[in-house]
Amino acid sequence: MGRGLSRLLLPGFTALVVVFLFAPIAVMIAFSFNNPLGRQNITWQGFTFDNYFSLWSRPDITDPMVTSLTIAVLSTIVATIFGTMIALALSRYEFRGRGPMNLLIFVPMTAPEVILGASMLTLWISLGTARGFFTILIAHIMFNISFVVVTLRARLAGLNKSLEEAGMDLYANERTTFRKITLPIIFPGILAAALLAFALSIDDYVITSFNAGHTLTFPLWVFGVSRLGIPPEVNVLGTLVFLIAFAFIAIQYWAQRRAGRTAEAGPVTMVGR
Amino acid sequence: MRRLTPYLLLLPGGAWLLVFFAIPMGFMLTQSLAQGTVDTGFNLTWNFGIYPDVIGQYWELFVRSAGYALATTVLTLLIGYPMAYTIAFHGGRLKNALLLIVVLPFFVSFVIRTLNWRMILSDNGILFGTLKHLGILDPTFHFLATPASVIFGLTYNFLPFMILPLYVAIEKIDRRLIEAATDLFASRRQAFWRVTFPLSVPGVVAGSLLTFIPAVGDFINAQIIGAANPQVIMIGNIIQFKYLIRNDYPAAAALAFVLVAGVLLLVAIYGRAVGTERLTS
Amino acid sequence: MSDPESRSQIELAIDQLMRRDRITRRSFMRRAGRGSLALGAALSLPSLLAACASPGSSAAAKKALEWANWPAYIDIDETITPSPTKYPTINAFVAQTGINVDYKEVIQDNADFLGTLRQDLAAGNPTGWDVISPGGWVVERMGRLGYLEEIDHSKLANWTANCTDYAKGLWFDPDNKYSVWWQGGITGIGYDPNLTKREITTFDDLLDPAFKDRAGGFSDMRDMFGLTLLSLGVKPENATIADVTKAQKKLLEANGRQQFRGYYDNTYYDSLANGDLAICVAWSGDVSQMQLYDNPNVKFVIPDAGGMRWNDNLAIPKKAAQIDNAHKLLNYWYDPVPATALSEYIGYFTPVKGVSEKIQADAVAARAGGGGASPDPATADLYDTLAPTVVPTADQIAGTYPDKQLSEAEEAQWNDLFLAVLGG
Repeated sequence: MGRGLSRLLLPGFTALVVVFLFAPIAVMIAFSFNNPLGRQNITWQGFTFDNYFSLWSRPDITDPMVTSLTIAVLSTIVATIFGTMIALALSRYEFRGRGPMNLLIFVPMTAPEVILGASMLTLWISLGTARGFFTILIAHIMFNISFVVVTLRARLAGLNKSLEEAGMDLYANERTTFRKITLPIIFPGILAAALLAFALSIDDYVITSFNAGHTLTFPLWVFGVSRLGIPPEVNVLGTLVFLIAFAFIAIQYWAQRRAGRTAEAGPVTMVGR
Repeated sequence: MRRLTPYLLLLPGGAWLLVFFAIPMGFMLTQSLAQGTVDTGFNLTWNFGIYPDVIGQYWELFVRSAGYALATTVLTLLIGYPMAYTIAFHGGRLKNALLLIVVLPFFVSFVIRTLNWRMILSDNGILFGTLKHLGILDPTFHFLATPASVIFGLTYNFLPFMILPLYVAIEKIDRRLIEAATDLFASRRQAFWRVTFPLSVPGVVAGSLLTFIPAVGDFINAQIIGAANPQVIMIGNIIQFKYLIRNDYPAAAALAFVLVAGVLLLVAIYGRAVGTERLTS
Repeated sequence: MSDPESRSQIELAIDQLMRRDRITRRSFMRRAGRGSLALGAALSLPSLLAACASPGSSAAAKKALEWANWPAYIDIDETITPSPTKYPTINAFVAQTGINVDYKEVIQDNADFLGTLRQDLAAGNPTGWDVISPGGWVVERMGRLGYLEEIDHSKLANWTANCTDYAKGLWFDPDNKYSVWWQGGITGIGYDPNLTKREITTFDDLLDPAFKDRAGGFSDMRDMFGLTLLSLGVKPENATIADVTKAQKKLLEANGRQQFRGYYDNTYYDSLANGDLAICVAWSGDVSQMQLYDNPNVKFVIPDAGGMRWNDNLAIPKKAAQIDNAHKLLNYWYDPVPATALSEYIGYFTPVKGVSEKIQADAVAARAGGGGASPDPATADLYDTLAPTVVPTADQIAGTYPDKQLSEAEEAQWNDLFLAVLGG
């Protein structure tokens, strides 16, 4: 048996899984260039770039995308701020009501989205609030707070208090200590939580569908137009998002490698590594 | 002032969750105990009997949904662990790039990915059409609308939720521990099962929770890939039907709370089994 | 102490994704600044371009008529750049009246759609829609509960002049107080003879074990139970609970041997067109469009025992924002010109007099060419085939049946019986 075969096995398996992961993406990209006659987009009927160009003059397509992005950015900012505050309180202070607070944060993650959405819908109806952009935003902030807290909390638990104590020994008050020592240390964690919140918000379908009224976000729009087959526009937008994400990651990676592994200042870095 | 700080910090987020989660959910809870119709209104009759009713009627679907979620968790673990291991241990300088490549497809909306899978997996589509043409598959073979296909869809969609935590746990294992094991005449297999795997368990736990919990309540895969076939629909589909079409809010709410309770119970059992500190992830 | 295991796994993973080495906030901000500038620019590019391309679009959209309809119910021209939409007949309306229309194909299922409106209407709130296209039983229910605005027929001159007899005074709205007919059709069976290997004539053919796993049912309770009841010799309008229970048992028996691949809503179109389904409950107009554009092999048949006759309507929900403009839209569709253009595309039953003749005239014109266009025999043939189908024939009317008028209690019972069929 030996190392020869097992050397091949793992990488081979990995390669196979990567193919599996990219299969629908490849199909999506391919069919974004299709030129279908009818509503179906399943057989190849001619290559065309038209879909990419016609997209920009179609507000019915670009509006949902812009809506999704706006909501994602706004809900991420708010949820991250609220969530960070909660995480700080939970990890660094003593107070009553810790148990109920934990429950309040954890249960939204376990409840089925159908009911999270439906319960909010009931709230809006009884208040007579019209559903639209703001109700979607409120709902997204709601479910994002939990994820931010959970992501940050364990990170904060491992925080080395001695650094802050050092700051205070040097006559910094609480606020300055927080600004100049604590915040920079936990910032990577905050960023990670924010990224998660953004991803969750932009891809949300179920909760959004209950709170949207007639407003369309990207996933809602995709679901709606794909009833009778996936129109090429959907594949075009998916491809564009994919390419942008790819470019973003590639740029980051490249910039990182160029900057090299600069050992930045010792203690004020990621904790615990 | 110091005393107040924690409460002030908790206030905005806590209030938000209270108003937009706890109160609506509380209202849904009371609605589960009500009776009536949507046109004539619902009256709170403290109808606790609805809970045994819906459990009795739909316990099979609860079991089925849990089963699918469990299968999904196991499959993502079986696929994800070697992936994470390979990238962490054999990735070398390309580690980060490989991880990003693995996660890249999931930047595209899951609705688009699932719809495209349905197209790929259609009876005479790209995959099966070719195989049938080559005579490898029986012409009557179909994959869509079977339990296997729904689990397939769930596995695909939840794979990154398993791979990421696994990768983090495996990656930070100190290689010197493994070296030490082999120095002490452990075989590679022993070194893996006695050193590597146990150290990666926190990742396994985190990944399992992140996969199982949302998978249980999923209904999109059963709808798109499963074609809402009666044999494969999950409890989420029923809750959706009851709420949106049948407008039977009490039953829908009751089903939802049974689901939440069931999930919390399973999580608690799991936590006992693996040690509760590991759950704080 | 800093217990590694207690750190958030996901957060660490994402940490890893973002940067491998140590980094201070300052250097991150630098990189993030560059990165997010690029990302922000890239992502806002679509919206910038969109804004440049259609400067007034969002402002105009605010005053648009909100119209909810089913998919495959409007003519589409993919080759034109939207001005303002890609639906020629709607564009003509906008040009004629200056009223913008926000056309949304959001209705998949009557019960589903009613469910989205009900809570608001019960609370006395506006629904956000100006015009909706519900089925007959929905009109009856909404009308009875006071959820629809009354139609002012003085504003519908075209309807009074051009509406055919079979399209007015129906069971669900005998005085057309709340609705006018939009399009009608028949629920029957669609199938591909190449896949079924034989002709299909009865509902029981759908249950033939030879088509196991390749047969499709409908998730619409009235359509599915309706066809089943007819196959048992019961007219749906007279069906009792005992009858419906028998129908349920028949379908459950089929489920037990996994006859149906699934119970579909609109999405059956996909699976029937691409061959995943050999035979499926289907709508007449859908199959016509499928034959033209997606799969010429598929055929439509009304089962021997009977099919379901239905129509969708245009109605104005209570507290709609633009009631007057809504009336203008309703009136527009009874003008033979747009009605013909619509019928030439979607192939359902039209309520407007003279459409069939106009289609024939268009066929003649296409065959002859002239007016700058060359002779187009393909389109001419198309119109020739289409012309007779937009009006229900006597046979079709005889062979099809309407829904039963269900009270809320009865509907709940039928729905509960049906949920068991769907697998619940």
